[in-house]
Formats: sequence, structure tokens, C-alpha cells
Amino acid sequence: MNNDWELVIGLEVHAQLKTESKLFSSSPNQFGSDPNSNVNFIDAGMPGMLPVMNSGCIEKAIKTGFALNFQINSYSVFERKNYFYADLPQGYQISQFEYPILTEGFVEIETENEVKKIRLERAHLEQDAGKSIHDIDPKYSFIDLNRVGTPLLEIVSYPDFNSADEVISYLTSLRQILMYIDVCDGNMQEGSLRADVNLSVKKPNAELGTRCEIKNMNSFKFIRQAIEYESKRQIQVLESGGKIDQNTLLFDTSTGETRAMRSKEFAHDYRYFPDPDLLPVHIAEDQIEKVKSTIGELPQQKLLRYVNEFKLEKDIAKIIISEKAYAEFFENLISAKLIHPKLAASWLVGDIFSFIKEKDLQIVDIADKSSKIIQLLEMIEKGTISNKVAKDILIEILQKNKEPVLLVKELGLEQVSDNEELERIVEEALIGEEDNIKKFQSGSDRVLGYFVGKCLKATKGKGNPKVINDLLIKKLK
Amino acid sequence: MSDINIKKVSYLAKLELNEEKAALYEKSLSEIIEWVDNLKKLDTEGVEPLHNITEKSQNLRNDEVLKENSTEQVLSNAPEKAQNFFRVPKVVE
Repeated sequence: MNNDWELVIGLEVHAQLKTESKLFSSSPNQFGSDPNSNVNFIDAGMPGMLPVMNSGCIEKAIKTGFALNFQINSYSVFERKNYFYADLPQGYQISQFEYPILTEGFVEIETENEVKKIRLERAHLEQDAGKSIHDIDPKYSFIDLNRVGTPLLEIVSYPDFNSADEVISYLTSLRQILMYIDVCDGNMQEGSLRADVNLSVKKPNAELGTRCEIKNMNSFKFIRQAIEYESKRQIQVLESGGKIDQNTLLFDTSTGETRAMRSKEFAHDYRYFPDPDLLPVHIAEDQIEKVKSTIGELPQQKLLRYVNEFKLEKDIAKIIISEKAYAEFFENLISAKLIHPKLAASWLVGDIFSFIKEKDLQIVDIADKSSKIIQLLEMIEKGTISNKVAKDILIEILQKNKEPVLLVKELGLEQVSDNEELERIVEEALIGEEDNIKKFQSGSDRVLGYFVGKCLKATKGKGNPKVINDLLIKKLK
Repeated sequence: MSDINIKKVSYLAKLELNEEKAALYEKSLSEIIEWVDNLKKLDTEGVEPLHNITEKSQNLRNDEVLKENSTEQVLSNAPEKAQNFFRVPKVVE
């Protein structure tokens, strides 16, 4: 990036709300169904059909309001945003314009060297449109209205971002928060979270430049690429003496380039006006308070608690809180207070994560094995088995769902801490080692490690290293 | 005379007008707007906009699924359909 240009970026994020039914109709809010099977006459825009609002959407919006530090407005209004498109049979999208449900919030993100506050201008409820499929037939587009009316919360930021890294950091934490509070499933591939990027460039201390909007992206990778491409393009235009046309762009994932959308002969004129089919929404104070009590712990609160209360390393705690399911799994492991949280955390992000990664599993796939994992961790904590043995047993548990206690007995893997037996092994290990014994006595600690290793080998890894270590020191002095 | 761009208005309303009709509508729409513009003479300083004459809040329903119409019903008025999709002239961005 050219150093004397600054990027100025604002984001509009569309989050599909995780509800059973749609925003204004009782059709299922479900991805991946047969074409036009989740559609009723309201969704299809049939004349005379009346929208009836889903209370679940208000609740999810209030939850989001708390989690993103928004002001929750007790009065909001639905308006019609008028435009013609084949996948919007009503001829207008029901959205909120002048009176959105949420205003003035913020999210804190971590950048390379600071915590940065990203201010949010507003968030409003609106309907999603249907889907057009263009690649079935060269002459026709095919329309599936299943997505019509899916509830969206559009979260609009101020232009507070100055790099692609900041944008990705924000989207990551926004997605995490929305998933924690169960407002959105966060599935970007299925389009549950999509972003429009508004980008302009300017010289330091100069006025804001003309911006372009890159529409509708649903992958962190493509958003980063689009920002990098578009900022370079704008800088190039400006440096060669040109000027930026305010434009709506699409990011072409096959070329990695942005290009202007075609339908731009006339600037859009949405002619918003209050929807006469829908009364304004009044939200009572007690309703807001009721929702507040259902929010639960947010990711940043969890992170703090893990670091302060459980003394976890911040990096490890961050991995565990990165997904709600990880945190739930972790908290289940330590819920009986039999295992030190640090021990549970290191096994979770270590061997357990490598196992599920290697087998391409989700953490929920092994949730039924957590009581066995707890037993295993208890044995490690008590020193009944060595780390090395525990690793093997963990795999047996995860793959074959075997009982850890039985495994230990069955395989004769119990750690040997019995002094007499270990003393014998230590004595045997020292036979014929006169040279090394002298080295130790003249101050070489390295030799001790060698002896410990030798003894452990003799016990086939079952010897308790600490006991062996102590015995050796006693013998060698 | 108000500024009515009849070309833009008919484009937004997806109406095709011949020249004669366009001139007629341009004139009558301008007159309507001029008449409605009288409202601007009212002093509305400090008056909140009225979105609805009742002070009631919107009726809400519970978040429950009801399958009310079949795919056949939904597609039954479509001029063209194929494989349970609506089929329309190509629209590509």
C-alpha cells in the first residue's frame, strides 16, 4: 500500500436472524429447501396479503442492541423501499429508514497495537430478497423465492476503519458476538452474514474522498481481496489525475477485480415512505429488561474471566472463546471442579483440537465423550498416568469411545510411582555408567536427564518421572 | 410549474408511455404536486410526524412456522415456470 494514502472504510453488515419463521410471514426461515417450497402468498407478493410481524425478530434485535452497546429505541417505523427486481415480487422491500430500532452503538476491536472503538450508526430490521439463478439457462433467469422475507438486521458502521485488517477483525468479532447471543448462525457460505463495503481514499488531513460501494460479499477472504484491489484502483486513478465516480461495484471472485454494476442509467430513487400495512412498533421498557436477562456471557467477558479467574494464557483463552461451542465444551470439562482449568485448557486446544481438525469433525461431534475425557484428565492430574500414556488413551476415547479407567487397567498403563520398584530400576540403570556418574558429580546436570530417560524407557514410559528424578538425585549424591 | 421528469417517473413505475401520454401526465402530475405543495406553507416546527392515526403498537405473532401455501399454488399464476422455479427474462448484474 502506498504510504501517503489513507483508506476510509465503512461497513453495512446484513445478518440473517436465526428465527423459525420469516419477518412478516409464517413460512419457514430455512436454508437449502426445495425451490419455492418455503413461500406463502405474503412472500410471493400476492395482492391483498397483509404482513404480520414476528415477535422473535424484535427480541433478537433487542439482544443485539445490548451486545453491541446500542440505544434501543422504544419507537420504530417500517417503511417501503421501492425498486423493481425479479426476486422481489412485492416491488418494494419492507425496511426501516428514518426510525430504526437501534441507534448509536459501538464495538471494540483489537488491532496490532491498540484497542479501537468502531462506532455504529444504526441497525434496522428488513426483509431479505429472493434468489436469482443465472447459470441454468442462457436465455432465462430462474427465481427461487424461499429467501424472500427472511429477517435481516442491517448493522451500519461509521467510516471508522482504515485497513482491511481492521475490517476483518471487526467482522470476526461481530460474527462471534451474534453467534454467542444466538441471533445469527454465522454461516457465511450460506449467506447468513454478508457485507457491503464503502471505501474511499484520501491524503492525510484532507477532506474525505469520493466513495465506492462494493456490494454483497460473504467471505472474509474476498472482502480482504476486494478492499486491497479497490483501494489500489482508486489510488491509481487519482495519481494519474483522474477522479473517482461514486459507484456501486461488484467484486468478481474469479478475476479478483471490482466492476461497476450495470443497472445504473438512473441513480436509484427508493421513494421511502411509511408502510401503511404496518403500525409503528412500540417496545416497552419491561420487554427490553426481560430480553436483557437472556443474553448470557459475551465473548469478551468470557475472555476476561478465563484470564483472571482461571489464570489461562490470553492466547489460549482466545482460542477457547472464539466459538461458543468450544467455550461450552471447556466449561463442561471443568464444571465438577475436579480438574484444574489450565490442564483442561491445554488438553483442549492441544490434543483434542488436533484430533477434531485431523478428522474434520466439529466439537459437538465429540460432546458425548466429555465425561470420559474428564475421567482421563483426572487421572493425569492425580499422576496416575503419564502424559505420554494419556495421549494414547485420549485417542482411544475419541475414536472408540472406550472407558479410560478400563483402558488403563487393560493395557497395564498405570503410572508406576511405587518407590521400591522404581528404586530397583534406578539401580539397574546406573550399572556400568561410572563415567556418567562422575560427570554428574562434577556438576553436569545434563547427565541427569539422560538417566531419567533411561529409567523411563525401562518402565516403558509408565514410570513417574518426578519420583525417578528424586530417586536418582538421592542415589547419585 | 413543478419540475417533473416524466421519463424518470415512468421508468421508476415501470410504465411505457407514448409521447402524447407522457405530455399529458407530465402536465397533470405537475398540477398535483403544485397543489400538494400548498402543505409546505404550514408551520410544522416542533410537530412530530404522524405515522399512523392510531396510537396502537403493531400486532405481533409468535415465532412459529405455518406452511400455508404449496409450491404449486405459489407458481400457479406464473407466466413461465420450470423445475419449480419462476422463469424470467435474463437479468444479470
